[in-house]
Amino acid sequence: MKRRDFIKAGGALAATAPFMNFGAGRPLGKKMLVLGFDGMDPGIVSRLMGQGQLPNMQRLGDRGVFTMMRSTVPPQSPVAWGSFISGADPGVFGIFDFLHRDPQTYIPIFAQSTTLPSRMLVKLGQYQLPLKPGKVVLNREGRAFWDYMEERDIPATLVKLPTNYPPSASGQRTLSGMGTPDILGTYGIYSLFTSDENESQSDLSPNNVYYAYIDENNVMEGQIEGPKNDLVKEGENIVVPFKVYVDNRHRTARIDIQGKEVLIAEKEYSDWVEIEFTLIPHLASITGMVKFYLMEMGEKFRLYVSPTHVSPRNPAVPISTPSGYSRELADHIGLYHTISLPADTKALSQGTFSMENFITQSLSVFGESCRMFDYELQRFSRQKEGLLFFYFSALDQGQHMFWALNDKEHPYYHPEESRKFGYITDEMYRKFDRVLGKALGSLDPAVPVLVMSDHGFAPFRRAVNVNNWLIQEGYLKIAGGDASAGASILDYADWPATRAYALGLNGFYLNQKGREREGAVEAGERRRLLEELKAKLEAIVDPKNGEKVISCAYISEDNFSRNCIQRAPDIVLGFNRGYRISDDSALGTLSREIISDNMGWWSGDHCVDPRKVPASFISSFKILKAVPDIQDVAPTILKYFGIATPAQMTGKALI
Amino acid sequence: MSSKVKLSKEADQKAEQIIAFHGYSSLEELVENLINNEYEKIKSGDNKEELANKLSGLGYIS
Repeated sequence: MKRRDFIKAGGALAATAPFMNFGAGRPLGKKMLVLGFDGMDPGIVSRLMGQGQLPNMQRLGDRGVFTMMRSTVPPQSPVAWGSFISGADPGVFGIFDFLHRDPQTYIPIFAQSTTLPSRMLVKLGQYQLPLKPGKVVLNREGRAFWDYMEERDIPATLVKLPTNYPPSASGQRTLSGMGTPDILGTYGIYSLFTSDENESQSDLSPNNVYYAYIDENNVMEGQIEGPKNDLVKEGENIVVPFKVYVDNRHRTARIDIQGKEVLIAEKEYSDWVEIEFTLIPHLASITGMVKFYLMEMGEKFRLYVSPTHVSPRNPAVPISTPSGYSRELADHIGLYHTISLPADTKALSQGTFSMENFITQSLSVFGESCRMFDYELQRFSRQKEGLLFFYFSALDQGQHMFWALNDKEHPYYHPEESRKFGYITDEMYRKFDRVLGKALGSLDPAVPVLVMSDHGFAPFRRAVNVNNWLIQEGYLKIAGGDASAGASILDYADWPATRAYALGLNGFYLNQKGREREGAVEAGERRRLLEELKAKLEAIVDPKNGEKVISCAYISEDNFSRNCIQRAPDIVLGFNRGYRISDDSALGTLSREIISDNMGWWSGDHCVDPRKVPASFISSFKILKAVPDIQDVAPTILKYFGIATPAQMTGKALI
Repeated sequence: MSSKVKLSKEADQKAEQIIAFHGYSSLEELVENLINNEYEKIKSGDNKEELANKLSGLGYIS
C-alpha cells in the first residue's frame, strides 16, 4: 500500500470494535507493556510489513490493531510525549515547542525546564558557597498518569521518558530521557583531537577541537573540559587531563586518565570511563563519564571524546525517581548513556563523523538501550502487576540523519553514500521489530502490549525563514530598515512598528499590546489579524517548485485547552512535507532568502503539520477509534488498570 | 552609575522584612544579591548563545 493510500484509509487495519469494554473502576488486567519508539513512521511500517520484514509488528497488529495515531500540534517530541504523559492536549501541560519566548524581553527560553541560579553566596577564602543551591524546574504542568496509578498502589516503571527532566516527584520508578543535560548543562558538547592541522582550525563550536600533538615518545596530552567551578570566585572551568600512548604498529592506544588505563583499538569505542571534576579538594566533586572513540590512527590521528554524561551511579543532577533507581540500573547493566539524545548528530552534521562513524555510534547506543530493556523486561516478567514503559531514541535520531540517503529529490542526496548506507533505515526498523519479538516471547500472551511513536517522519528539503517573509509582507519592521542576513530581530526589530514575529521551531507570535513589552497590536485587532495571517501563511508558495509551504497555520485558541495557553504561540506553523523552519529563523536571525535548500545530513524532520507525520499505534488489543490520538493513550492505560479518566485529561480511553 | 538608590517608604518597609526573614546583614547586601540573581537569570536563562547550543545539542539546528 502506498503511504498516501494508507493515510487516506485511516490506517485501514484499525479495528473499530473493542474486544473489551468495561466501565472504569474495574481493572481489565494487571500488567501492561508500552514500547515508545520515537519517530516510528506508520507509512514505513506499513511498507515493511507489506514486504514481510516486520513479522513481530505484523503479529501484534493482527492480534489487535495497527493504525496511524494523531500526534500533537506541533508534532515535536517534548510536546507529543508531554501529551502522552498528561493524557491531554498541550494547553493543559503548557509545553508547545522546544522554545517559548519571554514576551517582556522577546528572548527565546527553553520550554521544558527552567534553570534557577543558586542564591545567597557565603564567601569563604577563595570559595563562595551557595546557601540555597541552584535547581532546574520542570515546566510540565499537571499530573503524570503514573501518579494516579501510584495512588492505587499500582507500580509503574518508565524508562528514558522524554519531557520528564528533572523527573517529577513520584514513588514510581522513572528515569529521565529527552531533556536530560550533560555535565555542562548542555545537550552534548563533544571534543575532537586531530593531528590534521586544517581540521584543528575548523570552527566546530560549541564543540571543542584541539590539535593532537604526538611527541617523539608517541604520547599525546589532552584534557576534558568540565563544568565551571561556581564555588570559586573567578569561576573557572574544571579540567581533567589525560594522556594517550599511541601504538601505530598494533593500531591501538592506551589512555591514562585519573589513574585509570583505557585500552582501545582503532575504530573502537571505549567503555564508559567515570571521571571526577573536583570543586573543593577532598570535599566536593562532580562525577561525569565519557567514551573515547579512536576514529583514525597512522597517517592521521583522530580521537573523539563524547560529551560528559551525568553518571547514573552518582548523578550530579536528579535523573530518576527514586533517586537510587539510576544506580540500580547501572549496578545491573553497567554504566549507560544519560544525556537527552545520545547519538551525536552534531558530529555528523559538522563532518567530525563520517556516516559510518555515526551508524557505529547509533548502533552502540541502541545496543545499550537493548541491555537496559532486557533487564527491565526480565524484572517485569517476574512482576505480578504493573506497567512497563520503555523508550528508544534511535529511530528518531537515525531518521533525522538518514533521510537523504533514500530521497533522490533531497538537495543533499549523495548517490555514493546512498549505495553504501541506504539500507540503514529499514535495518533499524527490523531491529526494533526484533526488540518487540523479544518482548512478545518473554511475556504471557494475555499481557497487553502497545507499540507507539510520538510522530512519523517527513523530508526536510527546504528551510523557511518566516521572519524574512514577515519583513517582506510588512508585518515585521527592522530599525533603520537594515534587514541584512545574520542580523537578529532580537537586536534590530523596530518593535513598536512590528505586528508579528516567529521564534522556535513552529512558533509564530503577534506583538500584542499589554503582553509584549513593546506590543503594537491592540487586543481588539487580534482575531482579525490572526485570520489574515493564517490565510497569508497558508498561501505561501515555494518559487522553486510551486508547492505550498505551510499546509495549515493552527490558531492556538482554536486548538488548545485554555489552562496554559498564555505560554503558547498565537499560531503554530504546520509546514507542508518537505519544509521546515530554518535554523536561523528558529532563533530570530535573518537570512538572505526566505526559502533555501537544506544542505546537511539533518535531512528528515517532523516539526511540520501533524497531519503530514502521523504517529504509529500497534497494539495487541482492539480499540474504539479508527484513528486514536496520542492524548488517548494515558486514559487507556488508566482504564485498563481500573482508574477513571481524571478531569485534567482531555484524551479518551480507547478500550 | 550612582550607587545611591532612593526607596519609597513602602519598599523600605518590605526590604526590612526581607532582611529580617532571610538574615541579610544590610540593605546593601540584599540589593547586591538581588542584582546578582537578576544578572544570573539574564546570563543563564536568556542567553541566546546558550539556547543555540542547546538546540544544536539536540540536533535541530546546526
